[in-house]
Amino acid sequence: MNQASAAIGDPLSESPAVAREELEAVFADIQSHPLYDHELNGCLNCGICTATCPSAHYYDYSPREIVQLLWTENLEGIHDAMQEKIWACAQCYTCAARCPFGNSPGGLVMIMREAAIKHGMESAKEVLRPFSRVMLKVISTGNQLAPNMINAEHFPDWGPHISKVDAPLTVLRKAIPMPTLHTLETAWEVNLKTSLELYVIWEESGVLDQLETMDENLFDVITDIMEEKRDDYDDWLEDQEDEDGDDDD
Amino acid sequence: MDDNHNDQERFTGHGAEWRNAGLNEDQANAATSWVEAKVDRRAMMVNKERVEDVRDIMWQLEKDGEIIVHRVDEQHEPEMVKTLYGWDKKIPTNQLWHHKSCGQCGNIPGYPTSLLWLQNMLGTRYLDETDQTSCTAWNYHGSGIGNVVSLASVFLRNFHQAYVSAKAQGLPEGYYYPLVHCGTSFGNYKEMRGFLLHSAELREQVKKILAKLGRLVDGKLLIPEEIVHYSEWLHVSRQRIKEHQTIDSSNIRATVHPACHVYKMVPEDAIYDDAIMGGNRLAVTTALMQEMGAQVIDYSTWYDCCGFGFRHIISEREFTRSYAIDRKIRVAVEEARADVMIGHDTGCITTLDKNQWIGKAVGKGYELPVMADCQYAALMCGAHPYKIVQLHWHASPFENLMDKLGMDWRAAKQEFETYLGEVEAGRVETLYDPKNAITSGPGFNA
Repeated sequence: MNQASAAIGDPLSESPAVAREELEAVFADIQSHPLYDHELNGCLNCGICTATCPSAHYYDYSPREIVQLLWTENLEGIHDAMQEKIWACAQCYTCAARCPFGNSPGGLVMIMREAAIKHGMESAKEVLRPFSRVMLKVISTGNQLAPNMINAEHFPDWGPHISKVDAPLTVLRKAIPMPTLHTLETAWEVNLKTSLELYVIWEESGVLDQLETMDENLFDVITDIMEEKRDDYDDWLEDQEDEDGDDDD
Repeated sequence: MDDNHNDQERFTGHGAEWRNAGLNEDQANAATSWVEAKVDRRAMMVNKERVEDVRDIMWQLEKDGEIIVHRVDEQHEPEMVKTLYGWDKKIPTNQLWHHKSCGQCGNIPGYPTSLLWLQNMLGTRYLDETDQTSCTAWNYHGSGIGNVVSLASVFLRNFHQAYVSAKAQGLPEGYYYPLVHCGTSFGNYKEMRGFLLHSAELREQVKKILAKLGRLVDGKLLIPEEIVHYSEWLHVSRQRIKEHQTIDSSNIRATVHPACHVYKMVPEDAIYDDAIMGGNRLAVTTALMQEMGAQVIDYSTWYDCCGFGFRHIISEREFTRSYAIDRKIRVAVEEARADVMIGHDTGCITTLDKNQWIGKAVGKGYELPVMADCQYAALMCGAHPYKIVQLHWHASPFENLMDKLGMDWRAAKQEFETYLGEVEAGRVETLYDPKNAITSGPGFNA
């Protein structure tokens, strides 16, 4: 993982690297998250979560430490963990399944990631940069992934051939016996009306605000695309009305 | 150098107060064995405080007139199973609405096609349509973009569409019941149902959004009685599938990789059976493989994840491939001497399959075929390995497995290549009538 840029204090200054008000604001957002009390119930420091954590094998990351930081309200430690550590979690929820207290360290990490995004932390921006292609796809179509995104250029470690049968991707997709899968732009063909419904959810739930904080350019691109899609749908609705009118005649 | 902070120390991330216990090798092995004997057992998943069956809250809310429950009723021909705490769960076996998976449809399309093929074989009625979005939980768990309101709204939007979808065919609401393909969608939807049932505030927020979409029923939120993963449908259908088996599977040593989001998220809803691996392993998939006659081999990293990581598969791929190869594939090959690894989730199959190619670059060229349970079951029942099971999208050496099963994959591949000529000429074979796929909006013909 690249080292995310954390705030570095002046060694000659007595001022903290991060203002107390900011630390408190970040923690207040974490603590007031609707799921916070569901995910954190107490901690005896037993470490069973870390013992079973895949990311603890490879990163400077421990779910036990995350829970302890939150449980003891260690604001500096929480802020520090949000600069890099929380992004190591693989979100498998093994920790949650095994915690004798019913904590969900993986769930707490998600609350901290949401807070990192809300506060526009550089760590979050850096981590999310490679996600822009996926983000564009899922927000504008309703599908996270498309067949034309899977190629040797983007996934070189998966080998030079995506299919063991050599044929154009369009033909291979048409040879899948599910009609909804005969497309390259999305994992399955998504109805225009459906993707517009999802966009309303993004708008109304504050997801677009998150996106704007993280990546203004991507936000602009997506809003343009969706405006066009809305126009297309409105045109279709008008055509329908015209056809219905013709039928009445 | 301080003994507690030597260069050989493998584990990090325990905080400054951590000290090495200084155990010798025998003591360390004894301690580890003790922990593993406890940890890798069902006992570790149960005996928790504050465990509750959220369906009790659901029925009360319906009684209070606040929600409507989409029931699994007689028309769905349900089978009963037992979950982690011995609670009953109803699994519908007919009239199913396919909630597809973006990773499966995009990366490994033989996964859903095998499932639909099996359902055709059993005469199951179903609908696969374009009015469905991803659950968006892969994106959320990977990036943090999203929140409980968006996830819960997407959940209820898609399930509402399942509820009303049959109207396009002149059938009543509630006719089709959603069958979720992806393990992460399944885990996420179970979580969201629990959060919605617990929080009046969340219900209010989501209700406003669904009202805007016209996705309420009689002005109320529609909540599914059960959230059902396709592996659960396979589980309760396994004896009927067995009746169609044409290929002997008894010489196959299979390892199962259970998906974290299937049984570690809302674990109380996962299916267990004392007759399956002593009740210490999730019953789905293992029971199917045993029904197919394969030898299911237990292994020491059964409980480990695959390494997918949601974010890691996209931007921290070294973690993903190292974990997949070192903790799963290598162990299955060296310890379990497996012929195949069988999974039941999108990300797991992709990770365990596709990452084998790069292993060769570092002398870890373990060759282990990886596929989904429904793909294996379809193969055993005579599905075409390329036209139906679509194995050509897999990077792992499925050809080795087919050799051991006595299946002529070379001839099958040639047949498929011939069929591609037909496809280019526009003569495409499909599992169902394509006109069923559009139920409203552009392209819909009533």
